[in-house]
Amino acid sequence: MNLVLVGINHRTAPVEVRERMNIPEERLLEAVSDLVHREGVREGMILSTCNRVEVVAQAEENLDAEPILYQFLADHHHCEFASFERFFYHRRQQEVVSHLFRVASSLDSMILGEPQILGQVKRAYAAARQAGGLNGTLNEVVTQALAVAKRVRRETALGSAAVSVSYAAVELAKKIFGSLEGKTIFVIGAGKMSELAAKHLLRSGASTILVTNRTHERAVELAKAFQGTAIPFEELLDTIHRADIVISSTGAPHFIVRKEQAEKLLAARKSRPLFFVDIAVPRDIDPAVNQLDNAFVYDIDDLGQVVEANKKQREREAVWAEEIVGQEVQKMMHRLASREVVPTIRALEERLNRIREAELERHRGPLGTLSSEQRQAVDALTRGILNKILHGPVTELKSEAGEAGQHNLVRLIQKIFGLGG
Amino acid sequence: MHDIFLWTALGFYGLGIILLIPQVIHRRPSLSPASLGALGLGLLAHAAALLAEAAKIHRLPVVDVRSALSFYAFLVTLAFFFAYLRYRIASLGLFMFPLVFVLTLIGTFRVDRPFDSSSMRSGWLLVHIGSTIIGYTGFFLTFVAALMYLIQERELKSKKPRGFYYRLPSLEICDEIYYRSLLFGFPLMTLGMLMGFIAAARNWKGPWELDPKILASLVTWLIFLLLFSTRVSGGWRGRRAAYVAIFGFVTIMATFLGASLLSGPHGYFPSLKQLP
Repeated sequence: MNLVLVGINHRTAPVEVRERMNIPEERLLEAVSDLVHREGVREGMILSTCNRVEVVAQAEENLDAEPILYQFLADHHHCEFASFERFFYHRRQQEVVSHLFRVASSLDSMILGEPQILGQVKRAYAAARQAGGLNGTLNEVVTQALAVAKRVRRETALGSAAVSVSYAAVELAKKIFGSLEGKTIFVIGAGKMSELAAKHLLRSGASTILVTNRTHERAVELAKAFQGTAIPFEELLDTIHRADIVISSTGAPHFIVRKEQAEKLLAARKSRPLFFVDIAVPRDIDPAVNQLDNAFVYDIDDLGQVVEANKKQREREAVWAEEIVGQEVQKMMHRLASREVVPTIRALEERLNRIREAELERHRGPLGTLSSEQRQAVDALTRGILNKILHGPVTELKSEAGEAGQHNLVRLIQKIFGLGG
Repeated sequence: MHDIFLWTALGFYGLGIILLIPQVIHRRPSLSPASLGALGLGLLAHAAALLAEAAKIHRLPVVDVRSALSFYAFLVTLAFFFAYLRYRIASLGLFMFPLVFVLTLIGTFRVDRPFDSSSMRSGWLLVHIGSTIIGYTGFFLTFVAALMYLIQERELKSKKPRGFYYRLPSLEICDEIYYRSLLFGFPLMTLGMLMGFIAAARNWKGPWELDPKILASLVTWLIFLLLFSTRVSGGWRGRRAAYVAIFGFVTIMATFLGASLLSGPHGYFPSLKQLP
């Protein structure tokens, strides 16, 4: 096993460098194909996203493969590589496994737990498969990386808390209403952010959308875009009670919903909850409305606060996720290592046994005719010696499985006993 | 046999609680198989304990406060499994099982006084005890849902999400559990009370209406009548209803335990057993 990875990411390289090194998806197949046909490269995969470019390979044993990968990048981008080299990190063997597991699990992402990376790894994997670049150890490692990512997703909440303002609004709405199925949204005033929030809410299941704006034409326009209903601005207060979620972003200099008005609204709603998302500055909804039972008012700062808390929450989950990844790396290494060790042990046993049998054959003459008990005794004697000799190296090999020095040990034993592996 | 089974049940409940703590800490959406398994085994052992007792005394093993609490704990565990299967909320276990554990523990206390109650075999009383206790099981869920609602509501109003924000279900789900368990519990409680009145009027000598437990139950019933009718008619939900539900449940517990010390036929102490 000889795994090598070189790469840059958002932490090690500025965007200009990442751009320069990027390998767009449409050229991926051709690039991987070039990579794996290079001398010394057995398997290869390329992961190229806007935040990272990584080239990973399984090379011939005992080959220093990094220069090959750097050369590949230089050739591919037609550049002098020396000026870029300082941005690159490299990983070997277990570090490669650990790195791939962490990347796929979104522990190495700019936004912890973001879900896109898993899809990107899957596409990189598919391209590499298609190019014939994955058929051995690396294939196994990447497949396992995808499985680990799924386990992390299943067993931790790493990716679940919203880390953008508009998603935070959706998350809060879900904390209040449970499912958004059949809920009505009222968008007051137009604006990028409120449109985005409304879009997310609709995608999460909200069914009806009402729109109003000071200029009615704009409201009609928006309503058309969302397939909703435009409400004249004057009828605003008579209509709000129909909505479960109100997204407000008018340019009004004063509150458009005051506490007394909100009280009436809630009564009209038979105390069903009402959620105000107030993204306007100055604010549209009197913050005192939040004191009312069943009314919840979040302004832009409140949403920001939720995002901050969620980020911290993700960091806490990341600790747990790292633990899972750690366990999985150990398991993987052990599996790979024992696979490498087992044939060596078997070869060693066979080799020694052949020597034993050859020597027995050679001494058959001087030993003369032996009774069956005597033959058994000689057999047991030689076997005993053989097993005692084997005990040391086999124990060492097994205990080193997965350790960094394992490969050297395997080599050493192969050399000493002439196993020709 | 009853004791061995009950202690086994208690052990499994304890184990289940210990196993579900890390699940809740790590915000796992559902309980681990180990934790669920332990709680399930606890439920089975508890059922075995109740059956053993029933076989011994040849009737429903609810003869005094101790055994009533044990039976109640069993029903609450059963209710937990129903609620969990429907809603998959890990934190529900954390709210329900500590009390189950305590109730079961009380259930293991030895009472060396045989409770003579040939009247308890009457059908009226059986329905009285059964439906009251099952109704109270519903109210336990009402109580837990109200508690979770209040905590989650506080998190949402504070706008600074802390631990509970992530761990508790949405207000809507809390409200749904609250409402459904109320719908389940209230008719049963009403039926149980009516049966009790009938049984008392037939069997007791003297002014049965003045029995402390009966009076306390009446107060409790009024509280839940208020919750039930205001909710069914549509108006009352949210914080206020949750507070009243919690108060109502505390009253139930007080009636269950406290009034029994004073009330004769409902009570613990043979010396107070019969009113004049």
